Amino acid sequence: MVTQLLSSGDRALARVFIESQGLSFEPGFDDLVGAFESGALVATGARAGDVLKMLAIDPAWQSGALLGEVAGELVRLGLAAGHEGLFVFTRPAHAPSFEALNFRLLASHAQVALLEYGGRFERWRAATEALRRPLPPGATAGAIVLNANPFTLGHRWLVEEAARGCDRLFLLVVREDRSAFPFAARLRLVREGARDLADVVVLDTGPYAVSAVTFPAYFLRRTDAVAEIQMELDLALFGQRLAPALGVTRRFVGTEPTCATTRAYNAAMRRVLPAYGVEVVELPRREAGGQAISASTVRAALASGDEAALPALVPEATLAYLLSDEGRAVRARLGGGQERHA
Amino acid sequence: MRIARKAQAGTMQSSDLMVALEPADQLSVEIESTVKLQFDHLIRAVVDEVLARHGVTAGRVRLTDRGALDYAIQARLETALSRAAER
Repeated sequence: MVTQLLSSGDRALARVFIESQGLSFEPGFDDLVGAFESGALVATGARAGDVLKMLAIDPAWQSGALLGEVAGELVRLGLAAGHEGLFVFTRPAHAPSFEALNFRLLASHAQVALLEYGGRFERWRAATEALRRPLPPGATAGAIVLNANPFTLGHRWLVEEAARGCDRLFLLVVREDRSAFPFAARLRLVREGARDLADVVVLDTGPYAVSAVTFPAYFLRRTDAVAEIQMELDLALFGQRLAPALGVTRRFVGTEPTCATTRAYNAAMRRVLPAYGVEVVELPRREAGGQAISASTVRAALASGDEAALPALVPEATLAYLLSDEGRAVRARLGGGQERHA
Repeated sequence: MRIARKAQAGTMQSSDLMVALEPADQLSVEIESTVKLQFDHLIRAVVDEVLARHGVTAGRVRLTDRGALDYAIQARLETALSRAAER
C-alpha cells in the first residue's frame, strides 16, 4: 500500500532507496510517496508541480502492480492540487509501462522519454485546429518559437522574413511565466505586432516548447550535458508532435549573438529537426545603431531608464505597453536588468 | 445532481479506472483507455447512463480506464459523483 513519506526518518529511507536505484534524490518536491513490504521500502515516487519524478521500484517487485499504485497515487495528488495533467520522464525502455497506465508518449530521445497523463496535448491540438483554416495542398507552413520578452522590431523583422519563406507562419509563444513580462502581455504584444500580416497564426505553446517541463535549463542559463539532453528532447517533441500537428516543415530562428544557451539550442535544432522533416532556417538579426535588436537590449534600456532608445527597438503596440502603468510595473521589477533571454 | 466541486475516485490498477470530476458550464466526457479502440463506445454508454440517471447536465468528466468492467465503471463514477455533490 502506498503512503505519503512525511517523517524525516521515512524521507531518509527514501533517499537511500532512490540512490540505490541509480537515481538522484532531488529535494523540492510537493509529494513523496512510497510502498513498504515486510517493513522494507520497495517503491518510491515524487511529484514536483506537474512532473512526477524519483519513481523507483525494487527489482524484486517490478513484475507486480507497484508502478500503477505509486503513479496512481501521485496522479491523484497532482489532480487534487489542480494540475490539468502530469508529466513523467523515464528511460525509453520503460515508456510502455507508463503507456499501460494511460500515460501518452510525447517524445522519445536516445536517453529519455517524456510521457503525459491527462490527454492535454490532444486538447491543445484540437484547440489550435479551431484557430486556423486548412492549408491548401502543396502549401508550406513554418513556425517560430519565441518568448518575446517583450516583442521587438527584431522579432517583427524575423516574422516578416519568415512569413515570406512559407505560406503560413505559426508564432508559438512560450507560455512559461518565468520572464520579466507576464505571458498574457507577451502573447498580446505578439498578436498586435503581427496582426497586419496575412496567414500568421499566434498560438499559446502551453508546456510543449521551451517550458519548465521540457527545457528547464533554458530558464537557468545552463549549457551542460543535462541542458543538452533537455534541449534535444524539447526539439524531439517539436519534431515528433508539434510540427505534425500543425503541418510545419520549416522552423525559423534568429541567429544568437550573445546568449550561450540560446546559441546551443539553435545548434541542437540543426542537429535534431531535419530527421523529422523540419528544415531549420537561421535568419540574421536586424540591427539598430550597429547592434542586434534583441529583447535583452530593450530590457537593458528599460532598466537604465533610457526611454528615448525604445522607439527604435520596439513596434508601436509594445511601446504603448511599456509606457503604460502595467508596463511601468514590470520596469520597476526589472531594476538591475540581470535576467536574460530574448 | 450537480457537480459542485472537484472529486476523484478509483485507481490506476489493471481492470480499474480513475474518474476525475470538476464543475463546468457544459457537460463534457473525456475517455482515455488502454482498450479505447475496441471499447470506447461501450464505456461512453455506461458513463452516459450513470450521468443521466443522476440528472447530471453540466461538468467535466475525465476517465482513464484500464479495462474495467461495466459495474466497476458505474461504481467509480457514482462514488466520484457523490464526492462532487453539494453537501
